[in-house]
Amino acid sequence: MSPQPQAAVGAPLSRVDGRLKVTGQARYAAEHDVDGTVHAVIIDASIGRGRITAIDTRQAEAQPGVLRVLHHRNAPKLPYRDNTASNNPPGERLRVFQDDKVLFHGQPVAVVIATTLEAAQHGARLVKVRYQTEQPDTDLTDATPDKPTTYARGDAEAALRKAPVRLDLSYRTARNHHNPMEPHATIARWEGGKLTVWDKTQWVVGTQTELAAVFGLPLDSVRVISPYVGGAFGTGLRCWPHTIVAALAARVTKRPVKLVLSRRQMYFGNGFRPAYAYRLRLGSDRRGRLTAALHEMDGETSSYETFTEAIMTPGQMLYSTPNVKQAYRTVPLDVNTPIWMRGPGFANASYVIESAIDELAHTIGIDPIELRRRNEPAEDESSGLPFSTRRLRECYTIGAREFGWHRRSHKPRSRREGDWLIGMGMAAGVYDTARATAQARVRLDADGTATVEAATSDMGPGTYTSQTQVAADALGLTMRTVTFRLGDSLYPPTPPHGGSMTMASVGSAVLDGCNRVRNNAIKLATEDRQSPLHGADPNDIVVRGGRLHVKNNPARGETYRALLTRNKSTHLEALGNFTGPEGTPRHSFFAYNATFAEVAVDATLGLVRVRRMLGVYDAGRIISPKLAQSQAIGGMVGGIGTALLEHSVTDPRDGRTVNANLADYLIPVNADVPDIQAIYLDGEDREADPLGVKGLGEVVHVGVAPAIANAVFNATGRRIRQLPITADALL
Amino acid sequence: MHPFTYTRVSSTRDALAAGRRGGRYIAGGTTLVDLMREGVEHPATIVDISGLPLDEVRATERGGLRIGALVSMAQAAAHPKVRALFPVISQALELSASAQLRNMATIGGNIMQRTRCTYFRDVTAACNKRDPGSGCAARDGFNRTHAILGASTACVATHPSDVSVAFAALQAQVHLLGPDGERRLSFADFLLRPGTTPQREQALHPGELITAVEIPALPRPLASGYLKVRDRQSYEFALTSAAVALHVRGGIIREAKVAAGGVGTVPWKLPAVEDHLIGERPSDALWKAAAKKAADGARPLAHNRFKVELLQRTVERQLRTVGGHA
Repeated sequence: MSPQPQAAVGAPLSRVDGRLKVTGQARYAAEHDVDGTVHAVIIDASIGRGRITAIDTRQAEAQPGVLRVLHHRNAPKLPYRDNTASNNPPGERLRVFQDDKVLFHGQPVAVVIATTLEAAQHGARLVKVRYQTEQPDTDLTDATPDKPTTYARGDAEAALRKAPVRLDLSYRTARNHHNPMEPHATIARWEGGKLTVWDKTQWVVGTQTELAAVFGLPLDSVRVISPYVGGAFGTGLRCWPHTIVAALAARVTKRPVKLVLSRRQMYFGNGFRPAYAYRLRLGSDRRGRLTAALHEMDGETSSYETFTEAIMTPGQMLYSTPNVKQAYRTVPLDVNTPIWMRGPGFANASYVIESAIDELAHTIGIDPIELRRRNEPAEDESSGLPFSTRRLRECYTIGAREFGWHRRSHKPRSRREGDWLIGMGMAAGVYDTARATAQARVRLDADGTATVEAATSDMGPGTYTSQTQVAADALGLTMRTVTFRLGDSLYPPTPPHGGSMTMASVGSAVLDGCNRVRNNAIKLATEDRQSPLHGADPNDIVVRGGRLHVKNNPARGETYRALLTRNKSTHLEALGNFTGPEGTPRHSFFAYNATFAEVAVDATLGLVRVRRMLGVYDAGRIISPKLAQSQAIGGMVGGIGTALLEHSVTDPRDGRTVNANLADYLIPVNADVPDIQAIYLDGEDREADPLGVKGLGEVVHVGVAPAIANAVFNATGRRIRQLPITADALL
Repeated sequence: MHPFTYTRVSSTRDALAAGRRGGRYIAGGTTLVDLMREGVEHPATIVDISGLPLDEVRATERGGLRIGALVSMAQAAAHPKVRALFPVISQALELSASAQLRNMATIGGNIMQRTRCTYFRDVTAACNKRDPGSGCAARDGFNRTHAILGASTACVATHPSDVSVAFAALQAQVHLLGPDGERRLSFADFLLRPGTTPQREQALHPGELITAVEIPALPRPLASGYLKVRDRQSYEFALTSAAVALHVRGGIIREAKVAAGGVGTVPWKLPAVEDHLIGERPSDALWKAAAKKAADGARPLAHNRFKVELLQRTVERQLRTVGGHA
């Protein structure tokens, strides 16, 4: 097979769906026209733990337009079968309206269904719920943790005791919320025993399996549709209770039901990045070579499910450390279950490790980049495997040069401009290169256009565009003649659109399917006596702009269109397949970055302003440079939020989220976002997947918060070991 | 949203008639509609006054400024007379909200703004301001953004308006029109401290309409400006803020107008700071000494202790910014 020329892949193209989005034609979950839709509004528990003792719905039901009020006393019992084919964590998932228990503040306790949204909202205010109240546990450091998950190599305790340089540091990170622009929304419609759901989700397949399990339906009786997602950052990786509520309400009222979470409900109706308490002890020799690292991390989970994430991984492989000991404990609290959020686990671990490394460098008196170089491992010390690619040293070199790192003073608080103290910081970032089984259907029509379908999602990174790029090159078509469709459970299955695995997994399936179709066309041509390509070696044929020709003799060839028309073939079709990693791994796969930040801190008022940022990425091959640039900017902006602004506050008295809105839960606005630059190292990872990509949506966020925190130290000489770093901490 | 009726009026007479029947006035709607959506406010009737002829900024005969109640925040901020005479007003407005909100919201509505206390805005929480007698969830709850000055047992919520801090500093007057005719209230009398009746926020009679805010004449030259301190660079309410206007002649401070925001249950006029400045020569030492008095009488809560120090530093910084180094 002759390699196809690369035209679309690697070109800085704009989003293929950009026009649809900016002209309002892209339909998001709540925007689908479904005849006869009625509206549902969830009533949230106003206590943090306890039981419902009474529900008075009379006033609500008397309102014009109100159709039904559903709650645990009148809702049908649902099968809630186990579902291992979803992202449900271990435990007993929340069963909506199945009993009188309240497990957290904000839990759905009833739903009002009405002919208009306004009537449903008004009705919801009129329902009176009485509770028997218990004191909730909401504080990570007060509650009883689960048994730890542990990891050890060498003897970290002994090595720490012997280490000439020792640090013992405790960090806290805040609960963060995804806050996508589009809230969660579901439209549910029953036709006989078949359920169709338009939903905001990053995984139509997972939502399909969950709905089937909850309602006790065969999988093929449930269809989930989600063509556009207005941001998600992980919150769409699970089917949340409101989707079940919408489907239940539709079943009871026999009408299609639309349910949109309010912004307030987006703080407890779906998951969040859990808060952590993280103690890290480091031992090193006097030259800064790490000898011991002891990690103790406690993270939030709910009382009914055990949510975990990969917070242990960076501590095992980022730096060469002979002796490592880790204990990761989940702490069950009276909250809803967390979910992965951009750079899950890695972002929190990197904040701690990269802050501590910066402290170690300062303690020993060497440059933090030099310290990192001295601890660069020769292999993944957690597995003994070689890295497929690891170009962190290049990230440091290029980043330091482009950012002007040499201008940074090693001595903190030594640069001042008027009222502002100026400082620079950097951090390394890492994220796992995940791949999983995916399929894609490819159809080449006789008119020379192609359609590619896969169940995947596009929550913003540009799946539509990048998959079209892969398909266009593999089929030898232009971007305009290829249509990529996603977000429908009728399409071939794909893994969750998260964990930076979509390009590697779905992209490889698309590539495979397109290769099959192209090869079928080539075979058809070379075996067709009427084709100018008859008898040519199939391995010498390439396709360009929809025309097959001999590679070194472009004049000898014909178009797909001519070939298929003459052969009376309406189309060629193939199912592309990617199986994901198979057998015993031979390499360790990760994407890396070095992130640099310059901050200004008002010496008197304690305000922190980020002035410049640069990320340098080793993420393998870049399919879509313009979109990759957007990803990097988004990842860094998110990191500014984590570092300086974002935290939800829980009132310990009743478990209430006090700042469940965008005026009080702060995320960066344009004025907080400075000059941001991103550099992707050229190259590919041949071991990772057929496309040579390593994933980039997560890694661009990891390492951003510690780069900023380290810059704050360099500016002020103050170590704030708690995120977010706000003015009160720096006064 | 609670059902309501909507009427639009085109004369102040019709407005007052509708107001007398219990209608709530609405102009830009940027606060009231939000609160109606949250279930905090549920007026039976709203009276749209945005068509009334109260949208003029003009100089008064005495040398002050009269800003019509329906002048938008954006228009007031950009008005050449406001910019020239009282930069502190322009700055306070431009550091408020977002460009979109400033285009909609009016001056009259701005000074009527209700608190951002999150317990006030969450109908399932106890709040004496929203539901008199239900208690105050903020006092022993999360109160980082709450008041350190002017609070009562019943309420610790801050007044959110920035421009009101400038108005309080400049001793503006609020022009009111009611069934019994016109009257004027000083800004200090217009906004009420919570006391035992936090639900009563302004000294308005039922159905009374704000027609204008008047800034009195002040001796010239008058240097003024507004500093707003907040976690985010834009689109956030103040942790602390300071409005400062200084008249310096012959090297001596002859007039000083200073008020603080983000710290009080109402915009907090700082007479002790003003008294300390008047008659003195500008200097960094003077700014520091005067600003020390900014937090006199402060009673911080569990999470806002930092505001005491931050307030003093904010006032000191803004005195230096407006008064200069010396």
